[in-house]
Amino acid sequence: MIEFKNVTTIYDNDESVEILNGVNLEIKDGEFVSIIGPAGAGKSTLLRLLTREISPLKGEIVLDGINLAQIPSKAIPLLRRKIGTVYQDFKLLSAKTVFENVAFAMEVCGADRGEIDSDVPKILGIVGLGDKLKSFPHQLSGGEKQRLAIARALIHRPRIILADEPTGNLDLVNSYDVVKLLMKINELGTTVILATHNREVVNAIGKRVISIEKGKIVRDQIENGKYVI
Amino acid sequence: MIENFQETAKRVFSVGWTNFKRNSYLSMGTTGVMVLVLFLFSGLMSLNFLASRIVSGLEEKVDVSVYFKNDASEEEINRVKSDLESSGMVKNVEYVSKDKALDEFKQRHAGDTLVQDSLAELDENPLQASLNVKADDSSQYASIVTFLEGNKFRSLVDKINFYENEQVIARVLAISGGIWNWGFLFTMALALIAILVTFNTIRLTIYNQKQEIEIMRLVGGSNWHIKAPYLVEGGMYGALAAAVVAVLFYPIAFFISPKIESLMPGVSLISYFVSNIFQFIPLLFFIGILLGVTSSFVAIRRFLKI
Repeated sequence: MIEFKNVTTIYDNDESVEILNGVNLEIKDGEFVSIIGPAGAGKSTLLRLLTREISPLKGEIVLDGINLAQIPSKAIPLLRRKIGTVYQDFKLLSAKTVFENVAFAMEVCGADRGEIDSDVPKILGIVGLGDKLKSFPHQLSGGEKQRLAIARALIHRPRIILADEPTGNLDLVNSYDVVKLLMKINELGTTVILATHNREVVNAIGKRVISIEKGKIVRDQIENGKYVI
Repeated sequence: MIENFQETAKRVFSVGWTNFKRNSYLSMGTTGVMVLVLFLFSGLMSLNFLASRIVSGLEEKVDVSVYFKNDASEEEINRVKSDLESSGMVKNVEYVSKDKALDEFKQRHAGDTLVQDSLAELDENPLQASLNVKADDSSQYASIVTFLEGNKFRSLVDKINFYENEQVIARVLAISGGIWNWGFLFTMALALIAILVTFNTIRLTIYNQKQEIEIMRLVGGSNWHIKAPYLVEGGMYGALAAAVVAVLFYPIAFFISPKIESLMPGVSLISYFVSNIFQFIPLLFFIGILLGVTSSFVAIRRFLKI
């Protein structure tokens, strides 16, 4: 269960520029939530708060009963290992191979060599990169990069997946592949939060849709939501 | 637990090595800079060695002779000698008897018939017995002289040549002191520059991987998990550079050594470094690895803040 209680954030310590303004939100375990809104509305900020990349100015964010502000900075990696994140710009480790990119996410969780050697090819097979284990990210297409990023986000079986404009750099076919993958993950019980401004994608998913505008939630369609701003 | 540690160590070293290989262009550049830095250190060590030989050569030449009157007995002179030796200020005291002084004088002027003839005409030995005093530390000659002035056999002493040598001794002391002080400052300044150059080079190398480090943080890597391979990488730059310098330095020293020896007879650079090879090479590796690891450690800290 994720709760945002009256959350306000500002831009780079400048109190005159509010990004989120008194946001209240509850997301239950296993939900698939699309967050939509124009660029600069605060969608990414909402996600970055959950991994404590940034902290709110006011209000609190509670994950499974724990107020994120109270997590000491040493324990932040532990929080991030519960959450898988997929970004618009992929954020792949460019100096590491496809295999090593995914293996890294397992290593940080303390997995041993044997687990890594058996699980990584499996997940890469699932996302359709089974034959690219030794390739480097710059040798992959945009769609392949995003599928690699999803494989990395999934490998440690996180309870929550955050996807920030995962289709932003992809064509329509690749976008649908990525969304189908996210929906499959959601069916297996993982909470998925998708920030996007891709109308087709949101309408195809047909689940809960939250609209944000100028840092405020303006609409929350609990079921079969459509892309409406 | 131990297995865990072994696996971690294996991972850290293999990731460090892989990074080193994959960034080979950058790694070679950084190693190259560290090679220059370690050459600078070796050069400074050579300079220090030469300076110390110059200084000790100069100080070696300084001594004080105490000449005794003819009525002083050998026993009395030996009493003065043992007094001096127990004063704790002298390195050694050499007794030169009248006969020995004459022998030495004759030898020195062996080719000079005029001197030989004049000596032969004399009935008795005109030279005085003396004590030749070398101090532990050349700044102590003045106190040695004061010590002699207060000795109970003072009346037996005819003259002490310190008063004639005083100015020379003072100049030698000033020069050797200057060589030490300026040499030390010079060494420190160059060492500081070397450290700054290494640090900045490694910082640029790591800055190049800033984004990677931030991504590692975002996928849940703990600080040490991310940092350790970079420390190993930094250590590898240092170790490789030390190896290169160790291989290149000895042939260079071998080549330069005779040229220095022709300027400063008896000073052999190559034999100094050969006899200290088991100190010098480990020291190179120690400095190289320490510089590499510390620079990486400081440089990476900035990027782990996310």
